[in-house]
Amino acid sequence: MQQITQQPSVTRHTRSGKINIRSGNRVSLVLRATLWTLGALTVLAFFFFDYTGFRPLQAIPETLYNLKAMFLEPKLSHFGWGEAAMQVAITLGLGALATVFGAAFAFFLALGAAENLSVPWLSKSIRIVVAFVRAVPTVLWVLIFAIAAGLGSEAAVLGMLFHSVAYLVKAFSEAFEEVDPKILEALRSTGAGWWQTVVHGVLPSTFTYLLSWTFLRFEINFSVAVAMGAAAGAGGIGFELFMASGFYFDLREVGVITYMILAIAIVLEVLSTRLKSRVYSAS
Amino acid sequence: MSLLEVNGLTKSYQPGNPILKDVSFSVEAGEFIAVIGPSGAGKSTMLRCLNRMVDIGEGQVLFDGRDVGAQNKKGLRDVRKNIGMVFQHYNLVPRLTVIENVLHGRFGYKSTLQGVLGRFTEEEKRKAFDLLGKLGIAEHAYKRCDQLSGGQQQRVGICRALIQDPKIILCDEPIASLDPNSSRIIMDHLKTISIEFGITCIVNLHQVDVAKDYANRIIGLRKGEVVFDGPSPLLSQRFTDEIYGMKTAVEMRELITV
Repeated sequence: MQQITQQPSVTRHTRSGKINIRSGNRVSLVLRATLWTLGALTVLAFFFFDYTGFRPLQAIPETLYNLKAMFLEPKLSHFGWGEAAMQVAITLGLGALATVFGAAFAFFLALGAAENLSVPWLSKSIRIVVAFVRAVPTVLWVLIFAIAAGLGSEAAVLGMLFHSVAYLVKAFSEAFEEVDPKILEALRSTGAGWWQTVVHGVLPSTFTYLLSWTFLRFEINFSVAVAMGAAAGAGGIGFELFMASGFYFDLREVGVITYMILAIAIVLEVLSTRLKSRVYSAS
Repeated sequence: MSLLEVNGLTKSYQPGNPILKDVSFSVEAGEFIAVIGPSGAGKSTMLRCLNRMVDIGEGQVLFDGRDVGAQNKKGLRDVRKNIGMVFQHYNLVPRLTVIENVLHGRFGYKSTLQGVLGRFTEEEKRKAFDLLGKLGIAEHAYKRCDQLSGGQQQRVGICRALIQDPKIILCDEPIASLDPNSSRIIMDHLKTISIEFGITCIVNLHQVDVAKDYANRIIGLRKGEVVFDGPSPLLSQRFTDEIYGMKTAVEMRELITV
C-alpha cells in the first residue's frame, strides 16, 4: 500500500477515489455520449410516428398470411420452368459479364495502384479515382449509364462493370502489396524487367487471392444483377420478380423466384468454397 | 583493369547519418572475398550498391569498366544480368517449382515478351538441370520451393544466380538462416563455384571463422568504414576486435558470466 501512495502521478482514480483501470481518454467519452444520444433519439422517435391506419391486430395475421402464400405455397403462373431457368441464366450472364471484364480491367489498374510496383503519383491517382467510383452505389452508376445506353442490359452491365473494377482494383492492389518484397528484389537482381517480375513473381504469389476476390465479386454481381433487372429493366429473373410483385401482385410467384435466387446463391457459395480448397490444396 | 572498382562510396538513407563512409576497394576476377562486420555496419547496403539494388549515393562503382551509377534502365539490366545475387532468405517464389525458380535467372537475357510468356530454350533448360545436379538437388526439380528445406532452397538460389552466367556473385548472409551442416554445404558449393567456374564471389558473413576458412581476402566493415582489407590469414584477433568493437574473447566471456 505504501508504494501506491508514493506514486500518485501514475495511478488514476475515479471520482469516488478508487483506482481506475480504464485509460479514460476522450475517444471513449465521445463514444459513450454518441451511444446515449442515439438511444434516446430512437426511443423519442416512437412518439412522433404517424399511427393512423395502423392496426396491429389486423396487420400481423395479414402479414403472416402473405408470408405463408409466398413461401409455403410457391407456384409459377405467368411463365413456365423453362422460361424461369432461361431468366436465371440471363441474370447469371449479366453478373458474369460484368465480373470477367471487371477483373481483366482491374488487374492492370491494380498493377498501377500497388505501391510496390508503381510510382507514387500513378498509384495515388488511381486510388483516388477508384475510391470515388466505389463511393457511388452500383445502382447509381447503372442509372448514369442509362442516360447514354438507355435503360436495359447494356447500362446494367456497364454500371456493374464500373463498380466491379473499382472494387477489384482495391482488393487486387492490396493483394499485390502483400507480395514479399524479397521476391521482387531477387527477380530485379537477375536483370528481370517490370513485366517479367509481375508475371513470374507477383502473379504466382497472388493468384489464389485474385481468384477468390473475383469469385466473391461474382456473387455480389449476381445479386446486384437481380436488383438491376427490377430497377433498370436489365431483364433476367430480377425483372420477373419485379413484374410478379409490382404488376401481378402474385405472391406465390414471388416465392418461387425467391427460392430460385436462394438456390443459386447457395450453389455459388458451395462452388466458391470448393474452388478455394482446390486451389489452396494445390498450392 | 579490375573487374569491380568501388571509389569513395558514401551512402546515407537519412541525411547526416551515412551508413557507408568513403568505401573504396577493387576486386580482381576470381577472388573470393568475405565482408565481415557487426549488424548495421552497412554490409548489405554495400553489396546492394554494387548492382544498384539501392541507389548509389556519392562515389562510383565501376563494374567491368562501366559506371553502374550512370546506367540507364537498359544498361542497368545489362549490368545486373552479369551479377548474380544470393540472399539470406533465399528469396524464391514459394509457389513455383524449383526449375521455374532457377530459370528466373535467365530473364536478364530475354525480351519482355519472351520473359512474360516464359519461353526458355532447350539449352537453358538443360543447363538448369545440370546446375541442379551439380548442387545435388536435381531430384527436387519439380517440387514446389516451399517444400524444400532451408539448405536446399539456398542451393536453388545459387542455381538461379549461376544460370545467369554471371561474372560475379554477391551473397548477402547466405548462411545466416541455416544450421551448421547446411552452412558448410553452402559455403563448400560457393567455394567450388569460384574455383571451378572462375566466378568472383563477394560474401557477407558474420562468422569470422567461416570467413577465414573460405575467403582469400577479407574486408572488415565497422560503422560504414573499411577497417580491414587484406588476405584472410592477416586478419588477426586485434583486427577482429576492432571490427566488432569489442574486447577480447576472454574479457567478453567474463562480462557475460559475471
